[in-house]
Amino acid sequence: MATTDSATQLPDFAGAYADSPAEEIAAGTSPWRLAMRRLRRNKVALAFGALFLLIVALALAAPLYADHVAKTGPNSQHLGGGDQIEVDGKKVDPVALDGVPIGPQGFKAGGKYVLGADGGGRDVAVRLLYGARNSLFIGVVATIITVLLAVLLGLLAGYYRGWVDAVISRLMDILWAFPVLLLGIALGVALAFGGVELGPIAIRGNSLWIPTFVIGFVSIVYLARPIRGQVLSLREKEFVEAARAQGASDRRIMIGELLPNVASTILVFFPILLANAILLEAALSFLGAGVQAPNASWGTMLGEAYKLLITAPHLTLVPGLMLVLTVLAVNVFGDGVRDALDPRATIKLER
Amino acid sequence: MRSTLRTLMGLMAVLVLALGAAACGGDDGDDGGGGGGDGAGGGGGRTGGTAIVNYTSFPDYMDPALSYTLEGWNSLWVVYTPLLAYRHEEGAAGAELIPGLAEALPEVTNGGKTYKLKLRQGLKYSDGSPVKASDFEHSIKRVLNLESGGSAFYLGIIGAEDYVKKGKPKGDIKGIVTDDSTGDITINLKDADGSFQYVLAMNFASLVPSNTPFENLTKDPPPGVGPFKFENMRQSRGYDLVRNENYTPIEGIPEPKLDKVTVSIVKNQQRQVQDVIQNKVDWIIDPPAPDQMREVKAKYSDRFEEYVTNSTYYYFMNERVKPFDDENVRKAVNFALDKRALAKRFGGLLEPGCNFLPPGMKGYEKIDPCPYGVPGEAPDIEKAKQLIEEAGVKGDKVTVWANDEDPSKPTGEYLQDVLKQIGFDAELRIVEASNYFTTIGNQRTKSQIGFANWFQDFPHPRNFMFLVQGSSIQNTNNQNYGNVDDPEINRLLDQANKEADLEKAAPMYAQVDKLLVERAHTAPYGHRKLANFTSERVDFENCTVTHPVYELDFTQFCLASGGAS
Amino acid sequence: MAAYVLRRVFGMVFVLFAVSVLVFLIFNVLPNGDPADRMAGKQARPQVVEAIRKEWGFDKPLPFQYTKTMGQLFGGDLVSQTNQVNVTEEIMRGVPRTLSLAIGAAIIWFVVGVGLGLFTAVRVGRLSDSGITVLALLGISVPVFVLGALANYYLGYRLALFPNGGYAEVGQAGLWEWLKHMILPWLVLASLFIGIYSRVVRSTVLDTINDDYVRTARAKGLSERRVLFRHVLRNSLIPVVTLWGLDFGLMLGGGAILTETVFDLQGVGQYFAESIRRFDVPPVLAVTMYGAFFVVVFNTLVDFVYAALDPRVRLQ
Repeated sequence: MATTDSATQLPDFAGAYADSPAEEIAAGTSPWRLAMRRLRRNKVALAFGALFLLIVALALAAPLYADHVAKTGPNSQHLGGGDQIEVDGKKVDPVALDGVPIGPQGFKAGGKYVLGADGGGRDVAVRLLYGARNSLFIGVVATIITVLLAVLLGLLAGYYRGWVDAVISRLMDILWAFPVLLLGIALGVALAFGGVELGPIAIRGNSLWIPTFVIGFVSIVYLARPIRGQVLSLREKEFVEAARAQGASDRRIMIGELLPNVASTILVFFPILLANAILLEAALSFLGAGVQAPNASWGTMLGEAYKLLITAPHLTLVPGLMLVLTVLAVNVFGDGVRDALDPRATIKLER
Repeated sequence: MRSTLRTLMGLMAVLVLALGAAACGGDDGDDGGGGGGDGAGGGGGRTGGTAIVNYTSFPDYMDPALSYTLEGWNSLWVVYTPLLAYRHEEGAAGAELIPGLAEALPEVTNGGKTYKLKLRQGLKYSDGSPVKASDFEHSIKRVLNLESGGSAFYLGIIGAEDYVKKGKPKGDIKGIVTDDSTGDITINLKDADGSFQYVLAMNFASLVPSNTPFENLTKDPPPGVGPFKFENMRQSRGYDLVRNENYTPIEGIPEPKLDKVTVSIVKNQQRQVQDVIQNKVDWIIDPPAPDQMREVKAKYSDRFEEYVTNSTYYYFMNERVKPFDDENVRKAVNFALDKRALAKRFGGLLEPGCNFLPPGMKGYEKIDPCPYGVPGEAPDIEKAKQLIEEAGVKGDKVTVWANDEDPSKPTGEYLQDVLKQIGFDAELRIVEASNYFTTIGNQRTKSQIGFANWFQDFPHPRNFMFLVQGSSIQNTNNQNYGNVDDPEINRLLDQANKEADLEKAAPMYAQVDKLLVERAHTAPYGHRKLANFTSERVDFENCTVTHPVYELDFTQFCLASGGAS
Repeated sequence: MAAYVLRRVFGMVFVLFAVSVLVFLIFNVLPNGDPADRMAGKQARPQVVEAIRKEWGFDKPLPFQYTKTMGQLFGGDLVSQTNQVNVTEEIMRGVPRTLSLAIGAAIIWFVVGVGLGLFTAVRVGRLSDSGITVLALLGISVPVFVLGALANYYLGYRLALFPNGGYAEVGQAGLWEWLKHMILPWLVLASLFIGIYSRVVRSTVLDTINDDYVRTARAKGLSERRVLFRHVLRNSLIPVVTLWGLDFGLMLGGGAILTETVFDLQGVGQYFAESIRRFDVPPVLAVTMYGAFFVVVFNTLVDFVYAALDPRVRLQ
């Protein structure tokens, strides 16, 4: 349920909406078009959706910014005597002798240190953009992993019932019993030490794939349970009976008949899972169990910023705001998607 | 002793530390509140009263046989006394060995293998029971049987290895013979060891009664002979050091001026500093974090001072693995390091240096000129690049190792960046601090280069040089991370280590130090600074005595006369 | 019914067992260094490492090690590998801190969350509805370690309105001190849940408000207020109460790791986070069991409460 204090508790939040739309949608395709129309009318949701795309675009443009504006890489340290910058005609060390970095310079230093320096004299703006790449990559890929596995498990359990359901449900119970952050940290820390070797695939401990898989894995329950429930009821419906009577194979029924009918649930859950994955990445990295140094992510930046909160609050504010904006964008857009798919949400209280 | 600073703290603590304290005492129920009773005012500081000090983490153990951290030793050395001890003074005088519970310094015979000592008469533990010579053997047995981190120091005693192997607490260590009636203690070593007197002066070898059980006694520490005794152990949160009424002063180990020192654990370093500023806490063991250093230095310089510890921070370079088997490649690394830049990652609390031995250590001779440029000035990146190119290793893959704590992680990141600059394809591996040294100390890891540091266990250069001696290479738990095995250095060290007279051995160690730097066996970059920061209640001028081994001396710590409490 | 209860209890025990095995496996099958090496420390000689391995049984087969560890855990004499501290005592020390955080925050987020949800549902479509909706989403979007850090810095350090971090025991420092230390952690932890709860309440109220029985009630001429509180709220609270039970169980079990860490409360969650960085299996195992226990028990309780509140649900 509630993952932890870090992340949101998804299922019931979304669950309130999850069970209903499928039935209407089963009737035809027009509900989809209706939903699109509703979404298009929701300007706030669209604006935040655009904001998310803008952040993605910024992340993709990170190398351009690094090469042409800041002229330094995300991991390049500038601590030496030759690294002084000129601000208003004065020479300034990016990091003072006592280890305190300079704050945001705007464009006073010719594009360098627009958002300030960190303790290693690294350019915060450059790290922020490269960090965005890592945070978003992990968020998106982890969510895709979650969706794929959860849908697979949910379909199998709901469709076959019997022992398949029993096994999968028990596994879900076990995962459910773990406070998610606890499991995430445990897996993150353990895997980061030795990496993973599975036959020909070898993943190093400092690879981005480790937090990605960990987050993708621990979030499965959120989606697998509602999907299973939905499939359990769908499989009794006439159209499934009909397909079965026509001699369709199990696989065909699952993919051809059931999957399209849980699509709206997946759609409702995707933004929530994405927001959750981004937050979970930040939490794990903040605790040192996610992205490994020197790679930047918003979580690692926040973790390092803590030590210099008094003298360099920009180190917390910059990635913190970016993280909040991104997650907010995903949440508001996701909320819009939900409202669009679920007409009840728009019914007004009769006075 | 390695990384005594905050050895125990995980990242957690570090993260929280920066946040610190607002105006609030009484946190955790026992760290606040002004203390201080009245006492007769004397010249300088007064005697009597209570001081409150903060540690950032609870010491690893409150048992002399087990504790192996700065926090532990800082408290334990005023509660327990070994046969030999240190004068409670600053600088070189404090590094000098004096008889502790023994009547005199040992008589060394049999080619440096036999040590004879005699216990002082009439000694009493804090519980009033008499001290016996056999207590010494019992104390060493506890170190060995409890698999203490200090057991390695005592395995050179004849029969010690057998004793460990048998695993029976009641067994005998053949090489230790004691006589309770005369107080005679004889110790026989397998090999001559010029630093053994210092080993005898370590906290591990402090005497505890022979009926002390073979278990970790942190919750209820055994009685000892010393100016203070423990009271009011509050599990994981603190304890009091109170005047030991059964202590008769031994020359060089004075009676305490304070009646009581209350040690409280406050994980938040910022809160500690805030409390010192507001005079709610009198001293903190860790220096203020860089975040608050500016404020402290600017406003409270009259009660703040930095000092250089006997420690060395360096990068090891594994000579058994390419490319660091090549001396010129190792030199390139040395040329490329900007020690001033590194000092910034220590928040300025690093004294840049060229030597491997720290300045406060016997045998230290400043290497001048430093072959790699003046420490603290610009590095010679061009020269480094050229050496790398000449060695034909440009573009080679190199993995830099570091742990996840400060300053290891930032210095690891720095090294990776420097290695990239001089032409390597460098990658960083961060390992949890708890696993770090056993990971790089395992030959199977084949770690190439990375963070290492050493804080002295005792003020004898051997305690540093074993880190680079061929004979200390092990397959696991290796401390010679770089597998330095230079025949000339080995020979010099063998000779120096046997020499019982440190004055005679010192030039040999200095010679080794020079060779180490010239041949670039490691890449040392400096020595850690710590700091004393006290409340206004403390007589800062007269009463903050920084001992070279144990840091602030609680026996001489005192409150200002006439100061409000 | 008795059979059902029995089955649930059996299921709980099974899940707890599986959780413990899983955690044990994570730290014994995935490579994470040799515990004996780690414990022997810096100056270790092979003999000493060997002695430790024997004494702690690291050379024994895993099932043996597992049973031994679990036996010690239930016997209350499990000690950590780092510094040999009694794990049960450490957890018990953290429990009042974790409870203080969980109970206070849970009350705040329930009351405020339900209030806001109801308010927005009644004013659906108005400006205040969308304003609060965005605020709620903001609450969900701000990680506690960002909000906590900023609260600590501005309210604790700069303005010194609150102590910044740490816990004060009621018995030693008094009720007022305890309260002062808890307010920020409560608010920060609750802010996340308030966002969620207000959304859930809003949507369930909107659901119920159009149900037949509500229409009937309204048709009977009951006042709008009475309809809202007597009929709508009572029914739409069922899912919220169950949700609250689950979240509360999780927080009791040490789930608020980040809040505890940011505010340095030294609760059970923070103990877990610190232990895991030392690869210290005994405390990690113990805290996971402690946390899973609360999750599982509250899961079950919630099912019973749900059945009691909603006559349509029958336990079987």
